[in-house]
Amino acid sequence: MSEIPLQSQVITSKLVASLAARTALETPGVLRLEPTVQGFLARLGPAALQRLYNPASQDGTYRDDGVRVSINDNVALVHLDIATDIAYTALNVAEIVQQRVRENIGHTGLAVGPVDVTILAIEPPPRARVR
Amino acid sequence: MALDDEPRLGCGRSIDRIWTTVDQPPNAHEQTCGQCQAARSRLRSLREATQSLRESDVHNTDLKPRSGVKSSIMDVARAEIRRSRRILLASNGNGTTEISEQALSAVIRLAAAEVHGIHARRCRIEIASASSDSSAGDRPSGYPGLVGSHLVIGLRVAVAPDINIPRTVESLRQRIITAVPAGVGISAGTVNLTVEDLYDV
Repeated sequence: MSEIPLQSQVITSKLVASLAARTALETPGVLRLEPTVQGFLARLGPAALQRLYNPASQDGTYRDDGVRVSINDNVALVHLDIATDIAYTALNVAEIVQQRVRENIGHTGLAVGPVDVTILAIEPPPRARVR
Repeated sequence: MALDDEPRLGCGRSIDRIWTTVDQPPNAHEQTCGQCQAARSRLRSLREATQSLRESDVHNTDLKPRSGVKSSIMDVARAEIRRSRRILLASNGNGTTEISEQALSAVIRLAAAEVHGIHARRCRIEIASASSDSSAGDRPSGYPGLVGSHLVIGLRVAVAPDINIPRTVESLRQRIITAVPAGVGISAGTVNLTVEDLYDV
């Protein structure tokens, strides 16, 4: 009887997405991650959405508000949609987010592919908005 | 011969037609046709029942979405609008950085709001290649721009009637030229301003 090593996947795309989202939100100048229709539907019915988007693979692409992660051949691909504070330079904020996300995902043992960032909004922070 | 799947009464009248006109007075045929009168009577009962159910649903608190759901839907709707058109700011080994036209436009509008006597209206943002725009040489430098291209901002404004228009518009231009690099991190490129109206103070 031959022995075949079992493939195990400990680091899921959902975990990487959570890590990327938290890292982005902790970066100075990031106000929030921008919500998506997928993220909203996931909150209403995550099981149904999982079946809708990804019927076969638990470790395929994971989408939540403002973050999309897929893992292919042990390489994590990340996309973030962010809103930034007008007091900061958005391009600099995005570059810092990219660096921090790469560092933190690297700690999981996964290789990190491109971390794409889209700045969807630039706004004054909530307390500074004129009512 | 075309097949007619529409359900009809024995007199040949369409039931769908009777349903859509059940709230209106009967026509000449329906006033004398027993089948149509019976159908109208039954359909009126059905209409009242469905209307009652609709009104019940409208006022049923159990069917109302939680307060957070509506605001979540609006947040998603606003974000989807922001996703419309994106401009590539940078691309390197770490990944790409894009900005939505809406975000860039917001920076320009916030800058315009700080200039007394100016109301920003329509804002258009175009990407021009360096070779296709003769004014490219005039744009300010010192900030990373879009590789091989630059922004062309077109802002239409209304102004207060009591201001010096040339001086105020130039002040607005300088404000935008300062605000875009500070808020976004790229040069403002070419800033075209059009005064299209006066507003009452």
